[in-house]
Amino acid sequence: MKGEIKQWLIRLGAGGALGALFVQATLYFFWGSFLIPAVQGRPVHPFGIPFWLVMPQMAADFGSADAAGLIQLLLSMLFGAVVAVSTLPFAEGGRALVLRSLAHFVGTGTSFALLLGLCRWVDWRMVPVCLFLLALLYLLIWLGRWIGWYSQVVQLRTLLGLSPGPSPLKWKETLPYLPFILLVCMALPLILRGIEQLFGADIPVFTGLLYPYLILPAVGFCSGLSLGKHQGLCWLYPPSCALCYLPTVYLLFNDSALFHCFMIAVPALAGVVMGWLYRRAVPKKAPKS
Amino acid sequence: MEVEFRLEPGRQEPKLVILAGAETDELRQLAQELSGLSLDPVPIWEGELSRRLPQDEFLRFYTDGKGVCAQTAAATYAVHLRLYELEELLDRRKFARISNSEIINLNRVTAVDLSLAGTIRMTLDGHVAVYVSRRYVKKIKETLNLGGRRGR
Repeated sequence: MKGEIKQWLIRLGAGGALGALFVQATLYFFWGSFLIPAVQGRPVHPFGIPFWLVMPQMAADFGSADAAGLIQLLLSMLFGAVVAVSTLPFAEGGRALVLRSLAHFVGTGTSFALLLGLCRWVDWRMVPVCLFLLALLYLLIWLGRWIGWYSQVVQLRTLLGLSPGPSPLKWKETLPYLPFILLVCMALPLILRGIEQLFGADIPVFTGLLYPYLILPAVGFCSGLSLGKHQGLCWLYPPSCALCYLPTVYLLFNDSALFHCFMIAVPALAGVVMGWLYRRAVPKKAPKS
Repeated sequence: MEVEFRLEPGRQEPKLVILAGAETDELRQLAQELSGLSLDPVPIWEGELSRRLPQDEFLRFYTDGKGVCAQTAAATYAVHLRLYELEELLDRRKFARISNSEIINLNRVTAVDLSLAGTIRMTLDGHVAVYVSRRYVKKIKETLNLGGRRGR
């Protein structure tokens, strides 16, 4: 336990120092670039130190460049410290891991939002967007760790003489469904648009109504149901459906049709879950000998 | 290879003698592996009665707050030994510590699963679920490699 506390303290200290250095270096080297556009005017230097920069608006918010500099330093140290302990929650498993990860995300998100907002790096209205991107990054890291653990489980199964089991997140099992989805998401709307143009339809009933509101959900649900029934929960299938549809949005429609991605992904998720529930409720019949 | 038994009534621990023309690497490895085998039965308690059961019968040994318990396919018994003492007693090729409070018989593992939250669950004899601490995964793999059980 003592060793664990020592490890936390060392990481917090080192992370705090690196965070402060990183923030200052970023401001110093990227001021005026596309990363930190110099729209607010010239930076100010707390205590007259040339390498120490703060946004002029932040200095105005806090009354002086020195106060703003100290607050920015504290916030950057806090952010660095929180990031430095980000791998420690993964040492646990199960409920403890989930709770620690959530607590860590709250800590990281709060310090990140404060750093961005109070230091005036971005407008407060943009902070939720940045937090959303941070959440995506978290999800990606979680996925990476999970695949690492899964490969350990596969090793254990092999060493125990058991079947290695499905691929991580069942990506291999999901692949056979993708050509069909690609056809439905890319070829079918093009054909329907062609038909509409051929008959000179004034209202695009096929591509504007039937396809997004009937065909897409039905195909998503039925294919998800089949996948879930045969392979169990395949979490990658719904986002794959949305991704397959994304090019069509820009080929045939525009940004306003982005919600179509959900019109296939959400029913696909529902189908996968229903199929999985069916699979659990009705076990496979043993082959007759 | 010829195998010969010589029974000696009263002998507590079996002794193996390898007769060979020369000491080769293979024989040295065999001797090392055989000397690591632990065949001692484990003493368990049923109330006031003590019995000794062969190691293969056990699914797992675990602490339940009051003491150490041993679970077989048929029943659960009390064991008057600590887990670290059991680790010394048990065959290191078959038994492995999977968490601070549990040792399992790797020969009885029928499934290994991973939850979305990263919990590794092992199933023993198809119905007993145990949870593996990730800190012990490396040690379990070492035990399994030691036992050379790939493709059991």
